[in-house]
Amino acid sequence: MDESRATRLIATALQCYPARWQRRHGDEAAELATLLLRDGTPAASIALSYLAGAAREWLTPRPSRRLSALACALLVVACSLGVSVSVELAASAAPARAASTAARPRPHPRCPPPVPAIGHSPNIIREPVHGKDC
Amino acid sequence: MASESDGAADRDVLRRVGEASVLILISLADGPKHGYALIRDIKELADVELGPGTLYGALDRLERLGLIAQLPAEDRRHPYRITAPGAAALRVHLDSLERVSAAGRLRLQLGGI
Repeated sequence: MDESRATRLIATALQCYPARWQRRHGDEAAELATLLLRDGTPAASIALSYLAGAAREWLTPRPSRRLSALACALLVVACSLGVSVSVELAASAAPARAASTAARPRPHPRCPPPVPAIGHSPNIIREPVHGKDC
Repeated sequence: MASESDGAADRDVLRRVGEASVLILISLADGPKHGYALIRDIKELADVELGPGTLYGALDRLERLGLIAQLPAEDRRHPYRITAPGAAALRVHLDSLERVSAAGRLRLQLGGI
């Protein structure tokens, strides 16, 4: 493998690390790889070692990542609770709506139907005022 | 006897850090080194080829445990040094290995193998 290809392969492997790791060790790791290549270590073996290291780095739990994992878990629980509550509400509302349309209570025979108020917006309906509870 | 060895096991924080971390601490015991020097030294010391990915993982772990510390960079290289708790942990671990090694040799003798 020519040198530029080997360097590209290793650079790609190094880019697999989290940004925090790259800021901390990136330059030194690239230089170390160059020295190891010069010693005759195969580029593929260096790249593979860095890839395995990157995987470990992503999978190792850290306090901050543990917190964000907890936040994600809480969010998932909250979302699933919200979904189940809304599904239940929708399920309970559907038969009630069906029942209300099927058996709508008839107006009391002595109670006149509500009349739109004069001088008001036609959308506003005034309560009948005759002292009877309709 | 059992409680004594249990106590030693409790103090031996290097029991679960892996071979690479122990080899790094042994290599740093005689003075600070950077990554490349560590890899070369460990190859000579134990005939173990430490991959660069393994090296940085172990260095980060040891630093988090307070067993090593990073020194100011020389060029782009960061040398590491062993800390006092790191030296104490290494001593405890090597003592433990010596006890196990002696017990193993004795059993081989007793078994006549």
